[in-house]
Amino acid sequence: MTISSDHNAAEHGEGRSLRRKKQIVDVSIDVFLFVVSILMLLPLVFLVANAFKTPAEMLAWPPTIIPRDPTLENFSAVLGETPLLRWIGNSLSFAVMSMIAIVATSAIAGYIFGKFRFRSMNVIFALFLATAVVPFEVYMIPLYFQVKALGLLNSTWGLLIGYLVMSFGIFLIRQNVIHAVPDELLEAARIDGAGEFWIFLHIVLPLLRGPLGALSVLAFFQAWTAFAWPMIIATTQSSYTIEVGLALFQTGFTVDLGRLSAASATVLIPSILLFVILRRNFVQGVASTGMKE
Amino acid sequence: MNMQSSRTKAPARATLIAGVCGAFFMSAMASASAETLTVWSGYPEMAPFYEHVAEGLKKKHPDLQVKVEAIALREHEKRVALGLSSGGSDITVIELAGSTATRYLENELLPKAPDDVASFVKDPQNFGTFFSDTASYDGTVYGMPLFRGQGALYYNTEMFAAAGLTEPPKTMDEYSEYASKLVQRDASGKATVSGWSMRLSGGGQGIAEKFWVNLHQYGGALLETDGHGKWKAGFANEAGRKTLKQYLDNIFVAKTVSPEMPADADAFERGQTAMFIRESWVIGDIAKKAPNLKYATAPLPKGSIGLPTNLYVAGEEGKTQIGWEFAKATNEPENLVWLLKNVGWLPNRSNVDYSSVTKEQPAFAAFVDYPKDYSFFTLPSIGPVEEILTRVAAQLVIAFGDASLAGDDAKIDAFLAKTADEVNTILTREGLLAK
Amino acid sequence: MMAILPTLAIFAYVRLYPIVDTLRLSFYKWDILSKRKPFIGLENFRELMGDHLFQSALINTTIIAFGVLIITIPAALVIAALIFYRTRSRLSGFYETAVFIPHVVSLVPAAMAWKWIFDARLGPLNAALSFFGVEPQAWLFDPVLSVICIIVLCSWQALGYAVLIYLVGFKNLPVSLYEAARLDGASGPQSFWHLSVPMLKPITLYVSVVTLISGFNVYAQAFILASDAQGAPGRQVRVLVLDMLENSFRNYRVGYAASEAVVLLAIVLLLTLVQFGLLREKGKA
Repeated sequence: MTISSDHNAAEHGEGRSLRRKKQIVDVSIDVFLFVVSILMLLPLVFLVANAFKTPAEMLAWPPTIIPRDPTLENFSAVLGETPLLRWIGNSLSFAVMSMIAIVATSAIAGYIFGKFRFRSMNVIFALFLATAVVPFEVYMIPLYFQVKALGLLNSTWGLLIGYLVMSFGIFLIRQNVIHAVPDELLEAARIDGAGEFWIFLHIVLPLLRGPLGALSVLAFFQAWTAFAWPMIIATTQSSYTIEVGLALFQTGFTVDLGRLSAASATVLIPSILLFVILRRNFVQGVASTGMKE
Repeated sequence: MNMQSSRTKAPARATLIAGVCGAFFMSAMASASAETLTVWSGYPEMAPFYEHVAEGLKKKHPDLQVKVEAIALREHEKRVALGLSSGGSDITVIELAGSTATRYLENELLPKAPDDVASFVKDPQNFGTFFSDTASYDGTVYGMPLFRGQGALYYNTEMFAAAGLTEPPKTMDEYSEYASKLVQRDASGKATVSGWSMRLSGGGQGIAEKFWVNLHQYGGALLETDGHGKWKAGFANEAGRKTLKQYLDNIFVAKTVSPEMPADADAFERGQTAMFIRESWVIGDIAKKAPNLKYATAPLPKGSIGLPTNLYVAGEEGKTQIGWEFAKATNEPENLVWLLKNVGWLPNRSNVDYSSVTKEQPAFAAFVDYPKDYSFFTLPSIGPVEEILTRVAAQLVIAFGDASLAGDDAKIDAFLAKTADEVNTILTREGLLAK
Repeated sequence: MMAILPTLAIFAYVRLYPIVDTLRLSFYKWDILSKRKPFIGLENFRELMGDHLFQSALINTTIIAFGVLIITIPAALVIAALIFYRTRSRLSGFYETAVFIPHVVSLVPAAMAWKWIFDARLGPLNAALSFFGVEPQAWLFDPVLSVICIIVLCSWQALGYAVLIYLVGFKNLPVSLYEAARLDGASGPQSFWHLSVPMLKPITLYVSVVTLISGFNVYAQAFILASDAQGAPGRQVRVLVLDMLENSFRNYRVGYAASEAVVLLAIVLLLTLVQFGLLREKGKA
């Protein structure tokens, strides 16, 4: 950001001035985008900064951005007084199990819908697609009673019921099966006497690694950030997911913003790191959601 | 696409994560196998009390594991509704306001108390009839009375002295006068410390409950009964107008308080308000969070809310014994004194000597030594009571933000009539409207 | 072939059945605690029509959904265009990540951060305003401002997704067209306006509908910004999902809540149909 715009001001010539004009445009676009990026990140920076503030500084006016006298007090208080790690564990197991379930159901169903395109199959597939537009919030209350009937309230299994299948995942895999899994390959394997299951495992799945990777990341984050569903399924402190735990943390009689921020930061930092590591898979996954026609 | 690296690392990552998850499940299962009793409370500050009681019970039941789960009241009520309607849960001691419990009793979702508990509750030596009645349904005892929510005025004595005030306000008019004297303003005239913190915002029914407390001082009630189990709105009248007018005058005319100012116990503890009305638990909260605060309490002009909370026991038939034993233990004199001293909620049992605590903490006087003609009201034990309060609260929030209502009696009356209609519509729907 | 059966069974159990059940429940007076759960026809819907809490929820939700749309789509289009223009810049990866991070971070911590920013007494927003001599505002308490706060929070989260989809769109645009335009003397902004915007229309349509639908499902944001915290509450902005959950789990009126869900479903279906309709029209034109 330190490019100075006039270091070659002395130079002349038509081409140079054009190039210079372009450079100024580029730099100002860079400045603009940089400012936007910082603004987008600022709320999160505030949150992390607040986590290190003392209660007195929390109440000071005007508010400080960088803590004057940083303390780890909030973190130790939060970790000591709330089952934060347990909540993170709950979220983690829920997200991982949901990811496995969605990847498995999407791979199988997507493959079958992609390769066995009879009329009846197409009708069922259309049904899958049609329900994709129904928001989860619309049917979560009856689903809640189903979970209750199964006796799975307050458990990871109960949470999982709501996140077992993903219409988009099936769609994504089906499209990829159609385009990336050649019929000839399957035929050749069948002629060689390979079973359908063997084919699926050893030929189809390896060809689908890319989309399946993207789908896993998508499914993981979808469950990790779920809120309304865990909010009704998990009602005991020990079964809260991290989102619910944090949300209810603030409904005690008196709110301690420093601790709240510390708890939030504890969750935020690993999930941002995870995202940055998996960014490519994720971006690919999200980008593919826009590809439906 | 840079799939290569993530592809090779994925199995290792998955193994790691699976291991972590497995560990969590194992620990969850291990804790479920011992003999356990769960206590559900809607007041986080009550958790130490139940743990204290559990500690005492350990002498007799060394293997007993008591799990205390105290969460915010609204979430607590939700889990009770969902938990009870599904049935067949662990043995759970449930803390519920008498008015909230009725709907479960009506639908036979809570078992009645065993005989020894029933006779303990019915003994007038132990509990006044008000308390034994709210723990009963159709004359049968279902719950063990424990504590009650009762309001009083809390005021900051240093701020009172600075404003030249020596006595707490005694009439509702004085509340407004005092608020004007107590409010502190910055150079631009904006209030920085509210004179009288009123509940003006937030979600849920609290706003309506607090409104009812003020309404009661004017002789009104949000809901009136005909004495035959039917109810109707009772605030579209002079008392209602005076009450709402006082709110609006304080917000828009005297400007002693505003919705966005810090409010409630939090603000009082930080010296951001001079006085407010709240239950006795604040005494315990102040002792913990602001031990140096100079304050006193006073009874309200006419009377207060009295909201008794009882313990009920849910669980598999024939196995609830231990739950009732726990409920009885909460009412042992030693435990009740501990409750008053350390938590601050008022115990309901009468034949216990609380003087060791009340002498030491004079703030309790306003809750126990009230005038002879002090009158109490409680929330009606009807199913839709929370829905009604929530709706009234939503209307009040709108009114508190509407400057054009202030000083316009006709508009206030119209507002009250409209809100009363809404309440009566709900009562009609449930077949509960009094004529 | 038969391997699809388990998936179908799961699908029917966790998706189809509850959707159908929602429709069914909406015709019943189905209270959690009562033993009698009678069929009441359209009574729930009739009550909804006169329910001012539901009406304010519907109005708030609609304003929020369209507010987010109006902020997000143009902003995302411009930002995506600029990021695409600077693809070769070393910072482009940073831009993309920074804009996208709000979309993936857990909702609750993010909302907490905003709650502090908007705080009337302690928040940096009012501090910044007073620095410019603007009167501090009670952001979370004023009926209008509290809705705006939710719109800002939701837009902040929705922006990253829209930018990402647009970026994909830009990458798929034919380069030759731009070459031609440049030879004709079109400036950057001109070709953006006359080439990119029209050619990205299907994507705009798609992103708009996704943004609108997720706007109609807003819940956590309203819950956090003004939840029941007794010490420091804010104004409760009533939104559809919140009203629905309150009716079913607080007032125990599941049937009534189901009728609200049906209304939500109708809105979402309508929006989707509009999207398909517009797409087809475009296909013909």
